[in-house]
Amino acid sequence: MSELSVERFCQIAEQIENEVGRVIVGQAEVVRPVLVSILAGGHVLLEGVPGLGKTMLIRTLGQALELKFSRIQFTPDLMPSDILGTEILTDQDGRRSFQFRPGPLFANLVLADEINRATPKTQSALLEAMQEGSVTVAQQTYRLEEPFFVMATQNPLEMEGTYPLPEAQLDRFFFKVNVNLPDVGEMAEILERTTGKDTPAAGRAASGADIVQMRELARTVPVASHVREYIAKLVLATHPENLHASPLVQKYVRYGASPRGGQALMLGAKVTALLAGRYNVAFEDIQAVALPALRHRLLLNFDGLAEGVNPDSVITELLGALPM
Amino acid sequence: MDIASELSRLLEGWMRWLRLRRALAWCLHGWVIGLAWGLLLGAAGMWQARLLRAEFLALAAVLALSGACLAGLIAFAWPLRRLEAARYFDRVFRLEERVSTALEFADAPASDLLQRQAQDAWNAAQRVKPARDLPLRFSRSEGLLALTLTLVIGLTGWRGTAWFQAAQQARAVQEAVAEQKQAMAEMLVKIENDPLLSEEQKRALSAPLEEALNALQDQPSLEGSVSILTAAGEKLQALSDPQAQELAQALSEAGRQLSLQEGSPLQGVGQQLAQGDAVAAATQLSQLDVSNLSQPEAEALASQLETLAQSLASIDPTLAAQLNQAAQAFRQGDRAAAGQALQQAAQTLAQAGHQMAFSQAAAQSAAQLQQGAGRVLAAGGGQAMQGAAGSQAGAGNSQGGAAAGGAGAGRGEGESGSSPLGNEAGSSPIPQNNGAGDGGKRAYEPIYAPSLLGGEGGPLVGLPQSGEDGEAVGVGPTAPGKEGGSLVPYDEVYAQYEEFNRRALENGQVPLQFMQIIRNYFDALKP
Repeated sequence: MSELSVERFCQIAEQIENEVGRVIVGQAEVVRPVLVSILAGGHVLLEGVPGLGKTMLIRTLGQALELKFSRIQFTPDLMPSDILGTEILTDQDGRRSFQFRPGPLFANLVLADEINRATPKTQSALLEAMQEGSVTVAQQTYRLEEPFFVMATQNPLEMEGTYPLPEAQLDRFFFKVNVNLPDVGEMAEILERTTGKDTPAAGRAASGADIVQMRELARTVPVASHVREYIAKLVLATHPENLHASPLVQKYVRYGASPRGGQALMLGAKVTALLAGRYNVAFEDIQAVALPALRHRLLLNFDGLAEGVNPDSVITELLGALPM
Repeated sequence: MDIASELSRLLEGWMRWLRLRRALAWCLHGWVIGLAWGLLLGAAGMWQARLLRAEFLALAAVLALSGACLAGLIAFAWPLRRLEAARYFDRVFRLEERVSTALEFADAPASDLLQRQAQDAWNAAQRVKPARDLPLRFSRSEGLLALTLTLVIGLTGWRGTAWFQAAQQARAVQEAVAEQKQAMAEMLVKIENDPLLSEEQKRALSAPLEEALNALQDQPSLEGSVSILTAAGEKLQALSDPQAQELAQALSEAGRQLSLQEGSPLQGVGQQLAQGDAVAAATQLSQLDVSNLSQPEAEALASQLETLAQSLASIDPTLAAQLNQAAQAFRQGDRAAAGQALQQAAQTLAQAGHQMAFSQAAAQSAAQLQQGAGRVLAAGGGQAMQGAAGSQAGAGNSQGGAAAGGAGAGRGEGESGSSPLGNEAGSSPIPQNNGAGDGGKRAYEPIYAPSLLGGEGGPLVGLPQSGEDGEAVGVGPTAPGKEGGSLVPYDEVYAQYEEFNRRALENGQVPLQFMQIIRNYFDALKP
């Protein structure tokens, strides 16, 4: 049984949100999914145009969580060893040897900024770390310290010179969160906060150990069998050949979500339930995390791409059509 | 406190409420379905002229009520699984899967989180008020549909008089036909058990009845039923022999005369003949012992035989000749020849008795069938025709009486007639043997004796002198040299024509194939 109580869970989560809120204005629809993802132990892909505070958000989270934070600016000439680390030749007492020098990936919270600007080779260097929580260099595997999160960002507009993330890579992101423009009030508040003399900073809200305990607690949240079946049906219904597939899915989707999508839904829903002060997963929890958990897992067909279909609309229609 | 048990108890209460709610909702469904079926079946029944108004309304009411009760009962008793019910309640009470999760994990190994979850579910469930969150509610559209159907049924019941009357007539016809079938079955039994009829005669009499009975099994139309009964009656009527009736009458009369002869050997024979039992009389005649008769007695017997032969000479010459032959033998003292002649006469009389019984049975059956046809037709004509039916039935009896030729077949009793004419006819004390053509149940027609000028009891009129005009007794409708105008409006006399036409149709005087033509003709004459 987890030592952390549910009340403490909610308290820490609230503190994190409050601390982040001291720096990040608004963006609740971004902060909450990112927090859910962290508490579920998943990686997040943030997509938005430049200047919306993606990097700031992740940096602030790093501060609030008192985690070891590293930022990697992905560029086309970035090599895997630049992020994983490399072995260097050392001379110690006349004895030369190779010594592994960890790269920036060896942190708790890694910001992979503009991840789609790196080559697929470099992008793929993250696969093992994201999935296994380890790094293998020169036939030597190094465990990454828990908790380990990759927070990647990408710009949806400037596509020239970019390398879209392959499906295998995308699938490893727990959530994909769209960062949108703030409204007028939020924009005014941003201007006020960031152009004054003092720049706000987030205080410590939780430790890495707290996050690990919260993750363990979240995993113990009970899910009724019919709710589980709903998740399974929802995931399968994203495939066009499925019986429950909605018309939009049948028309525009080439390939639907993988079982990882279902896991993301389940874990995300569990955390959402706890954040709502509930001890069980409800359908509402699933629907709350369905968009960030599935939007990057739907592979659109030619028609969908040609017509610029938004996966969110496909998922929304599916949620409305699928019986509970 | 065992939260799982408490939750289960709470869930049971919710399930009872849900059952009640479903039952009420389905009551309305069943009510609407029952009404729809009632209307559908009722309309079909009305269209086929099978339902009376009360039956139509009762059918709709019974179907609606039974539909509602049945649907409600089924809905109430429909099995509800606990976990599925819990999921349903989670949704409708917005419990966010608390109760279903708690129940599902009730048997799981205890943990702090599960206990908290169960407690949370219990707290949330206690805030639920089923009557408030899941109120008893009927669909407005369905209610309107039920109301509309009820109104349509009521309106149909109110305005569908023509259909209901047609059904009533059809029902009356069916009952009348059933009665006739029963009567025919009884006739068949009676014929079968009649000792005076030979097997061949029984078959001859039974054949038309059985044929008609079989034809009536197919439930023919009104005209068809009447036609079958009339045709069978005609066949039976054809089997009856008018001469046999006359013979029976003559024998009866002669028998009465003989029965008055005290001490005569033929007194017993006469009594039997007077009672109409010619076969018994023949038996008695054959057993007559003439050997011990003195000559005066033989002479007297011969005279009686001659008298009897004389009364039968014109109807049955053979029998008369045999009786005369016996009488002559008695006068000549040849007892043996007399006895032999009497034996032959007895045989002839027995044969005549059988023939008379056959003819009488045929006539009686024919009369009953004719009467039955009239009843069926009257039933088809409704209440207004029942008086006429009584009249017609009386005619049938009268015919039977006539056909029986004095055997007393006419009953002269009132039947179903409800009109004044029918009642009057039914109670008229018509004696038997009142002759063919007179209605056994009909009222006497007033017969006015002509007023003879100068006759007894008539008005006194002074005879004119020669060359003078006489006294004007009355003024006629016409005068010499002028066209006479009709003094009777056509629409007044038409009713009489129509009445004659109707009677002719009812009495079977018009062949079936011409009935429609005659009807069309009189319809065309309608003012």
